[in-house]
Amino acid sequence: MAKSRTTPISRRRVLRGTLAGSAVTVALPFLDCMLNDSGTALASGAPLPVRFGTWFWGLGHTPNYALDDKAVTSPGLSFKGECEALKPYADLINFFAKFNLPLDGRSNYPHTSGWVASRTGVVPDKDDEIPGTTFDLLIADQIGNGTRLKTIDLSCTGNPNHMYSARGTFTKTSGEVLPTAFYQRLFGPDFVDPNKADFAPDPRIMARKSVLSAVTDERQRMMKDVGASDRAQLDEYFSSIRELENQLEVQLQKPAPNEACRIVPPPNDDGVLGDMSGVEIGRVEATHDAFAKILAMAVACNQTHVFNMVFSDSFSALRREGESLTHHSLSHEERVDPETGLQPQTSWFNTRSMEALARFIESFQSIREGDGTLLDNVLLLAASETNFARTHSIDGVPFMTVGRAGGRIKTGYYVAGNGDPATRIGLTAMQIMGVPIDSWGTRSLATSKTITDILA
Amino acid sequence: MGFVVTLWNTAMYETMFMDECPEGPAPGNTEIWESTISPEQRRSYPERLITQLRHVNYRGPNGEDVCEQPTVVTDPPLKIVEGKYSYGIDLDGNTDGGATPKSCAHRTFTGLNGETGVDNQMYRLLGCVEAWRSYGHIENNANSHRRTSGLGMILLEISGVDDIRNDDEVSVTFYRGLGSFNLDSKNNVLPFGSYDIDAEDGAPRYNDTVGGRIEDGILKTHTADVHIPHYGNYQYIRQLIQDMQLHMDITPDDGRTGGMVYGYYGVDQLYSYVRGMLTSFPNRHKFSCPAIYVAAHELADGHPDPQTGECTTLSSAFKFEAVRAFINHPKGDELASGGTGPARVAASGP
Amino acid sequence: MKRHKSLHRGFLSALLAPLSALLLSACEPAEPVVSGTPPDISRLTEDQYRNVIGDVFGSAIVVGGRFDTPVRTHGLLAVGARNATVTSGSMRQYDEMARSIASQVLSEPNRRFLVPCALKPDMAFDETCATQLITDAGRLLFRRPLTDEEIKSRVTVMRDTAKALGHFEDGLHLGLTSLLVAPQFLFVTESVEPDPAAPGSVRLDGYSVASRLSFLLWNTVPDDALLTAAENGALHTQDGLTSQVTRMMASPRLETGVRAFFADMYEFDAFDFLEKDTVIYPAFGVAAAQDAQEQTLRTIVDHVINLDADYRDLFTTRKTFMTRTLGQVYRVQVEAPKGVWQPFEFEETDPRVGIQSQLGFLALHSHPGRSSPTLRGKAIRTTLLCQQVPDPPPDVDFTEFNDPNSPNKTARQRLTAHSTSPACAGCHRITDPIGLALETFDGAGQSRSAENGEVIDTSGSLDGIAFDDASGLGPALRDNPAATTCLVNRLYAYASGKSLSPRDPLMAYLEERFAAEGFRVKELLKRIATSDALYAVTAPDTAALETAAVSPAPF
Repeated sequence: MAKSRTTPISRRRVLRGTLAGSAVTVALPFLDCMLNDSGTALASGAPLPVRFGTWFWGLGHTPNYALDDKAVTSPGLSFKGECEALKPYADLINFFAKFNLPLDGRSNYPHTSGWVASRTGVVPDKDDEIPGTTFDLLIADQIGNGTRLKTIDLSCTGNPNHMYSARGTFTKTSGEVLPTAFYQRLFGPDFVDPNKADFAPDPRIMARKSVLSAVTDERQRMMKDVGASDRAQLDEYFSSIRELENQLEVQLQKPAPNEACRIVPPPNDDGVLGDMSGVEIGRVEATHDAFAKILAMAVACNQTHVFNMVFSDSFSALRREGESLTHHSLSHEERVDPETGLQPQTSWFNTRSMEALARFIESFQSIREGDGTLLDNVLLLAASETNFARTHSIDGVPFMTVGRAGGRIKTGYYVAGNGDPATRIGLTAMQIMGVPIDSWGTRSLATSKTITDILA
Repeated sequence: MGFVVTLWNTAMYETMFMDECPEGPAPGNTEIWESTISPEQRRSYPERLITQLRHVNYRGPNGEDVCEQPTVVTDPPLKIVEGKYSYGIDLDGNTDGGATPKSCAHRTFTGLNGETGVDNQMYRLLGCVEAWRSYGHIENNANSHRRTSGLGMILLEISGVDDIRNDDEVSVTFYRGLGSFNLDSKNNVLPFGSYDIDAEDGAPRYNDTVGGRIEDGILKTHTADVHIPHYGNYQYIRQLIQDMQLHMDITPDDGRTGGMVYGYYGVDQLYSYVRGMLTSFPNRHKFSCPAIYVAAHELADGHPDPQTGECTTLSSAFKFEAVRAFINHPKGDELASGGTGPARVAASGP
Repeated sequence: MKRHKSLHRGFLSALLAPLSALLLSACEPAEPVVSGTPPDISRLTEDQYRNVIGDVFGSAIVVGGRFDTPVRTHGLLAVGARNATVTSGSMRQYDEMARSIASQVLSEPNRRFLVPCALKPDMAFDETCATQLITDAGRLLFRRPLTDEEIKSRVTVMRDTAKALGHFEDGLHLGLTSLLVAPQFLFVTESVEPDPAAPGSVRLDGYSVASRLSFLLWNTVPDDALLTAAENGALHTQDGLTSQVTRMMASPRLETGVRAFFADMYEFDAFDFLEKDTVIYPAFGVAAAQDAQEQTLRTIVDHVINLDADYRDLFTTRKTFMTRTLGQVYRVQVEAPKGVWQPFEFEETDPRVGIQSQLGFLALHSHPGRSSPTLRGKAIRTTLLCQQVPDPPPDVDFTEFNDPNSPNKTARQRLTAHSTSPACAGCHRITDPIGLALETFDGAGQSRSAENGEVIDTSGSLDGIAFDDASGLGPALRDNPAATTCLVNRLYAYASGKSLSPRDPLMAYLEERFAAEGFRVKELLKRIATSDALYAVTAPDTAALETAAVSPAPF
């Protein structure tokens, strides 16, 4: 349970808040549950929180068509070709090239091994295996407990299973797929505007919390009769209950005033999902852009400190209306133009993906926070699951950081890994976000080498 | 085999710069009314209300509705088509346009493939009235209403087909369909849907049959008077087309086809449709009921009245689109032949 | 669990076993003895959750929410559900659904049927009413009577809430919510008890037997009669069990159960994300996709329940059901009005035979804009025959397949060119000759005779049986022994969570019985439901409990 770091709310204050405007009496169990572990959000003027997020797209880049290669780590990024759209944000980005994912003799399960290995630090033995916890959740365990939502997970393809976050094979996170539903969840009746003068803890939320506490009380009894593997299954459930309790707890506290938090109008689902054309690129882009706007505001309003955004799935089933081949099929089937070395249509999808990333960056960059922008206090890790989709190589899978992480990092760097394991990137990201960890990964992916070149 | 008609238009030969209408488009009801009042009077009406004003239609000398009573005023003569070319065929068998026992004297057109003696007085009448042209409101509105409502749905059933590419004797029956169209996500009618015949007590409401032949995949009917259902602009018409001939390709690979219907269309039938439109239409969509009324009578070239000798119908051509369809007959309707009955049907097509 | 006639390591059973085996052997072989496994827990699947809510609270209750899909295990989501847990994101969903369901239960007119007392705006806390609601709803939702403690703790919270929020109804709302987010509801947990017939051994308790039965046969919670049979011990007798199975199999709910199994085995969950390009296949829209799935399920239900026919004939049957929407894609006449299903039979000359030639299968195993002999062949191997097909290598080069200047117009020609590479040929040999027979059906399952102007050659083969087209593939599938082995394996795994190896004596026994009884799925289902094997358990391994119980929560 997160320990309060600020002044606890007085019992008197709770009563006053709860009773404001109505003649209800508050039953003692509620008061107790509030008093035991309550705390307020950071007071105005305290340091702004640093948030972490991932942005995923499928099928990587075409080699030599993303940015100018350099042999060594050095400042300055020259984006081109498929990454042309990132040019305006070059000084906010670090690009990690030539980091590898050695498989130690195990199979390369196309489109799976890449993301699983780079996010869990372990190469999977089987196609559908996720042998560890992905680093976004390790970061969320560190910084995500004081917010209303521990993580926000968004899938732009209409398929909630297109999400690259998990605690194991059977505990894969699933994503939100509809912007309207997402908006409602965030800014619907449960949202507490931090800039509203009056605040009263909602007694209904206290009641909901008490239900969850009652469920937690049954944990011991449930556990008693089940075998070890079933116990792990139930344990995850009880952890989820505790997380929900924690989120409700946050909602019972007055949020600190937050200038950056200005609610955007609700989206509509026109042009996004709803029929079978989930991965038609126009719809995916519309969904992405609607999500990006709401997400940026949710992050500015500190509704979460950790998010995962999936633009396209690791197989990238993106397609153009009327075309029989998907992005993925094209990567296997389209001939390479001998003049340019490009698969033109495949590359078109890669380019559209980077244009979407540029718009995503802009949605964060356009929100003022403190003396700068929201992006100054975000560490965004954009990554794919392969390098060149044509060969499905998982060596040199592209990774980028975007944002200044509260001044903890330098940006605008090209970082050449020279064959080092890509787990160095995950390790560095976790360390930047305050996860107390000094080494990560197994076998050839094991590393304790922080990428110090980008540390401020 | 069956078809359902998805689009029905008066066939208009339109050039990009409207060369066929050297005097320009025919003026609308409001323009004609405005020319009869003083500028001061004109200014007394708020602009936005002009098209709504009922009395623009009630501009008869005693306040009569000029669509209801088109002869109470004398509007400037309708601007008609003066071009050389038109869709259509030679309906009266006389290429020079002189009167025959079955037609009054009229100017003929040249067909788009150079045929001479093409009769199409409907086009001459309406070709310069913008509301009826391809971009105008009347026919587009009617088609879109039919598409979304299924009203006035035309079903064609071709029976007695032994050889789909060449057959000397087949018959074609026109029915009205009941229910709505099967549309895809872009609102196009899908081929190979099943459609029910509109019937009362087992008897189809429309049921005219005409013989015909198939030549190289093209169906051509013999000449006959047939009733073809019509709905548009909030009106049903039990549309009679006299001396009708239908031509259509019946062998499309994708089930989508089209064709032409030629024949004589009654002046009264046409004017009844014009008169029945909403009061606001002549103003909003720019046409003059009295001018059309007068011109229709003047241009009529078919079916001379035995008493007066005046012609009562207009030679016409209609362009339609259709898709293959399965036609479900009402229970007890034994008239139909060919391919209907139990649901056991070959999957190869209707 | 062991019933009176059963074979058991227990003393009495050991004495009786040879006798009962002898008696049975006159007509049929005895069921092999299996060693039990510990009881399992399983998270409710989406369908189960929806069925339960509908059955307990009525079909008017709308369940709006998103469910995590379990990881398919041994070819089945139902087996994967036994490892499924509740992630933090899905807990939020369950919480929201629970509150929404509770609100609907307490709203007009549902409250009149579902709340045991008349609700008035300012009524005081009615302890009897609250207790009864929790007791009644809880018994169905938890699939067993609640313990006094489970009732008491809830009524206390309900009373506190009603007091704090000022309305009795708020208390009821909270009580219902607490049932619906509880692990006892979301997870089907099984309990054991000492087996009186075998001292020192355990058996499943009656309620656990009831749950296994009802989820197997109905895909929902036990009804009152089944719970009563669990309560009074009837399920622990062979007669009692058989009579419940007979009753349940005569119920219309059997259809729900059979649908759930086949939808799982045939991987119809993929329909949720099926995409067809609406420009290339305008007739295959959302409605057609829904009807296509329903068509195959109806065909199966009619075949295996109503007609009680040979399972193998599902691959050759021409009988199915049709709607106008589907008729448009199949290009056949449908007389039933829009939205109404009519029985339909394809003509003798039509190559469409069997469920593998229906839209549901053909469209599901194709790309959004074109057909795929490889995907179709692979699906037949993996879902209908339970065989493994390896994944393609990561750097597969398929350029030949998409070269616009290629002389290869048909999929067969393109695949042949592609398969000249020895690395690819091996796998394609086991999929393509099956799928190519279905090439006269395009990516949406519509009939065609040519591709890019070239007449399609539909000859193919399956495990040495050659055929000319889809109408020959059907009989080849029907007569392939793997088809029935596959069904037996999947159905037993669906029921028990365990995938039997081909050499398992129980597998041999079930296969033999399935064949002897004319490959009728209902008989197989009944045999499994009344088998000893299904209920064989050992005590759970609770040794590590202490460590688990004191391990800190993750935050």
